[in-house]
Amino acid sequence: MSAQKFLDVEGLSLDLGGARILEDISFSLEKGRYLGIIGPNGAGKSSLLKCIGRLIKNFSGRVSLEGVPLSSMSERALARRIAWVHQTGSDSLPFTVREFALMSRYPWQKAIGGETAEDRSIIDRSLETADVADIADRQLNSLSGGERQKALIAAALAQSTDILFLDEPTSFLDYRHQVETLELIERVNREQGMTVLLVTHDINLALHGADEILAIKKGRMAWKGKSSELLEEGLLEEIFDTGFKSFTSDGQLMPYVAPGGLVR
Amino acid sequence: MKRLALPSLFIFSLAVVVVAPFMGMQNIALSDLFGSADENLIRIMWDLRVPRVLLGWITGSTLALCGLIFQALFRNPLASPDMLGVSTGAAFGAVVYIRTGIVFSLFGAVSGLSLAAFAGALAATFAIYAAGNLRRGGMSEATLLLAGVAMSFLFGSLNMIIQFTSGYIDTFRMMRWSMGGIQAVGFGPVLATLPALAVIFTVAFVTAPELNLFVCGEDIAASRGVSVVRLRRLLFFSVSVVIGINVATCGPIGFVGLLGPHICRKFVGTDHRKLALASLFFGGAFLVLCDTAARILWSPAEVPVGVLTSFIGSIFFLWLLVRGRR
Repeated sequence: MSAQKFLDVEGLSLDLGGARILEDISFSLEKGRYLGIIGPNGAGKSSLLKCIGRLIKNFSGRVSLEGVPLSSMSERALARRIAWVHQTGSDSLPFTVREFALMSRYPWQKAIGGETAEDRSIIDRSLETADVADIADRQLNSLSGGERQKALIAAALAQSTDILFLDEPTSFLDYRHQVETLELIERVNREQGMTVLLVTHDINLALHGADEILAIKKGRMAWKGKSSELLEEGLLEEIFDTGFKSFTSDGQLMPYVAPGGLVR
Repeated sequence: MKRLALPSLFIFSLAVVVVAPFMGMQNIALSDLFGSADENLIRIMWDLRVPRVLLGWITGSTLALCGLIFQALFRNPLASPDMLGVSTGAAFGAVVYIRTGIVFSLFGAVSGLSLAAFAGALAATFAIYAAGNLRRGGMSEATLLLAGVAMSFLFGSLNMIIQFTSGYIDTFRMMRWSMGGIQAVGFGPVLATLPALAVIFTVAFVTAPELNLFVCGEDIAASRGVSVVRLRRLLFFSVSVVIGINVATCGPIGFVGLLGPHICRKFVGTDHRKLALASLFFGGAFLVLCDTAARILWSPAEVPVGVLTSFIGSIFFLWLLVRGRR
């Protein structure tokens, strides 16, 4: 038993409609770390994140935070620890950026009584951090994909948690907004010490800021380790069932990975 | 303009409730009540018109609030309280009561017809809940909605079978009941429905933050700390029982629960705290206006108010939609 265990997942399995979605996943993560969860489509990455964050509850196994099982915490108590940036795509969110950030203060608010001065200053700071203060009064539905994603991250920050979960946060974004979003997530991790769990099918994205990588294949844990070790010979081919080429260019810390032909 | 929307709706609602009792087959002036003290006019005013206007207001507000809650709960702009089989369940109770020909009342105050309708509504509610809950992992909105629609058709067909096998007079009574109507002699019906309105308004107003999150999606609500299953159960049962009480008193009245909340959204936006107040003010005033028109238009005959709510309401809503496009 290591003393520094923060987030701990033990033997997590999930069945949905008779099909095994996740099989015996166990890992732990230290406080303040940034974990990228990667794997091909349908591997069970999003389901894993939802089980850990208890948006899916009927799984078997144990998830605990600082030794306390999450199943023993109330929804509200959990929402004070974990904030989510969901894969909302084009779902209608009929509120302004600021309204949505205020709604995300829900776990801290009393049943009756509106916005407090504390809420206001936390929301202002979050909008500032995510660089969306200038569009605070715009409708979320009217924003471009990149602006919208930053606004959703701002709302998650306004929730004042120490853990951030993101599900495919860059899938609908162009390159510039991908980079901006990734830098924002990295900044939040490095400067505010938030523990980050990010699900993506894009390896480059995971390599960008993540300290550690967890690879899922067909519902099983395929690999876990430091992100710098991910590019070792044959590993990616095995996870994604396709060939890969790596590039390293000057001034770029991380190698860039590109698929290079199917493995037969 | 949006800042003034709520105060305006409040004043509009108050004005409608104050003015409507003076209008009717025979218009009554304020001086008639105090000056000459005509016994008949005073009785028409206090025994018939005032209770009727109040009952209309309570019913309209209740329907709009229930529609508001259901549309947020099912994240479906077409959800309405009459869709979930509660109304057809109530109709089934009423139809069975009329068919069996038993006549009874509770303490002489609540009619047997109302009691039977309420029992039908409750039966439908529990049947839907049981059906929606059969699958493991609780009820999803989609399951619940489908169970409701199926239940609605089931009771609907049972109603038609009973109507088909009944005599002319019974069938007419059944049909007339199913058109809905605001009828009150004295304050009994007002007192029966007012607590239901108080309950559903409190529920809508207090759970407004949860409803706001709910319209953004179940995952977003859950990740912000809303206990989704408990809230869904609370909303489903409170709306069903409240609608049951109301339908038992006034029969099914269409449209207000479906389009009332949409009209309110046009005025005050998407925040459910404002929407709860707007639905309370607008729903009530709208139904009183329709009912007053129903009393006057073909007087001395009365049009069933449900016919007018649908007619006036759809035209009004279409106008709002077209205007919003420009």
